[in-house]
Amino acid sequence: MSVKTPSVCEQKTYELIFNSHSESLRNFIYYKCGDLQQAEDIVQDAFIKLWHNCAKVLFKKAKSYLYTVAKNAFLNEVAHKKVVLQHRVHLVKDSTNETPEFILEEQEFMLKLKRAIADLPEKQREVFLLSRIDKKTYSEISELIGISVKGVEKRMSQALIQIREKIGDI
Amino acid sequence: MEKHYSDETFLARWISGDLSKEELEAFKKSKDYEAFKNINKGSQKLMVPEFNKDTALRKIKNELHIDKEDKKVVKFVPNWVYVVAAILVIAIGIFNFVQSESHYNTGFGEQLTVTLPDNTKVQLNARSHLDFNPKTWEDQREVRLNGEAFFDVVKGTTFKVLTHVGVVEVLGTEFNVIAAQNYFEVQCHEGRVKVKSKTTKAVTLTPGKALRVVNSEKQEWTFTELKPSWLQGETTFREAPLVRVIKALEDQFKITFDASKVDTTQKFTGGFPHKNLKTALKLVFTPLNISYIIKDENKIILVSKDNK
Repeated sequence: MSVKTPSVCEQKTYELIFNSHSESLRNFIYYKCGDLQQAEDIVQDAFIKLWHNCAKVLFKKAKSYLYTVAKNAFLNEVAHKKVVLQHRVHLVKDSTNETPEFILEEQEFMLKLKRAIADLPEKQREVFLLSRIDKKTYSEISELIGISVKGVEKRMSQALIQIREKIGDI
Repeated sequence: MEKHYSDETFLARWISGDLSKEELEAFKKSKDYEAFKNINKGSQKLMVPEFNKDTALRKIKNELHIDKEDKKVVKFVPNWVYVVAAILVIAIGIFNFVQSESHYNTGFGEQLTVTLPDNTKVQLNARSHLDFNPKTWEDQREVRLNGEAFFDVVKGTTFKVLTHVGVVEVLGTEFNVIAAQNYFEVQCHEGRVKVKSKTTKAVTLTPGKALRVVNSEKQEWTFTELKPSWLQGETTFREAPLVRVIKALEDQFKITFDASKVDTTQKFTGGFPHKNLKTALKLVFTPLNISYIIKDENKIILVSKDNK
């Protein structure tokens, strides 16, 4: 019996797991369904389930347990509606010295980009956004989704091509 | 543009900075490069709405009813429980290893089908006991039986039925065994069965042949049923001593007989159904000219009419 491995049933450990995984899990589900409220509900349910099963889930396995539970919840509950992502755009400071035309053009471009991303198939969108927003490496993404790194790279490339085609030439 | 499509991971590798120098140089010269660069740049400006961890965690805690007033670490299961559980598991493990036998019992009027590790089917009649060791099953196919059972043995190495009154040895057949007090009966339904009781020499039975040893006395006969009748809800006898019939009635209906006033060595040929005690009693005792008095719920006194 290794007393050293932290038990998920201990509140401190549980909170540690929550703090390190809840946000990326929320984003992950959000990229899938595009509904923030739904994503957060799924995350909440996954963590509640983790607590109820804390005796059965090893600390090391907690992350993959959460992702599996959340993915299943997504597949079971979410009616696959047309997703609309509502990204907030960074205030980019170095754009202040740009001309008004340029800023307008860029805003238009961002709008097109968001629409193109929202139109991506779910599998491509989650890879693309996990990589570009959450800055996850391909191998991290492959672990989360449960496919090979090569598969992630393919989806990433397909996503880029799709977006490129949607946006057209600027 | 088309050449980037041919390599399925090209753009992904470009994003992660894993293109070779030559690849990157060539890509930079292509007319699509600017567009992809803008997409990459633009997408990195995107962000998701903020996630308020504290609020989310508080919600979950409310849902779970933990951490409401004090911040004490609440443990659902204290540590000593794990220790006790571990000791129990180990103890059960050792017990199983030493005991490592599978036991099957049937009560009054019950029947049970047991499938052995090699798919051999054993059907246990009422008030019978069967055990075997699954650990050594591959080396020796051996079961111990007390009571009555029908065996459908899968072909293979020698299959042995050990009883306190004798041994049955086969290679793969169907047969019925009764092992009771001073009573040993084997009926062969298929294949060849070698029977050796404690008091007699080995006998080989072929299909349709049966053997019975009662108090060291051997009797052989032939029969025509394909399966023992008890599997169809009826127990039949052929020149069986009455004591055996009484035992079968007791096992089936959970009753006891007082047979001190009758001759229990007399032979009986016939049968009784398992469903109805009244019919069973009538069918067995009327031909033998024995009257039966139901004393209370489970006790029946037998009186011979001839003695009157």
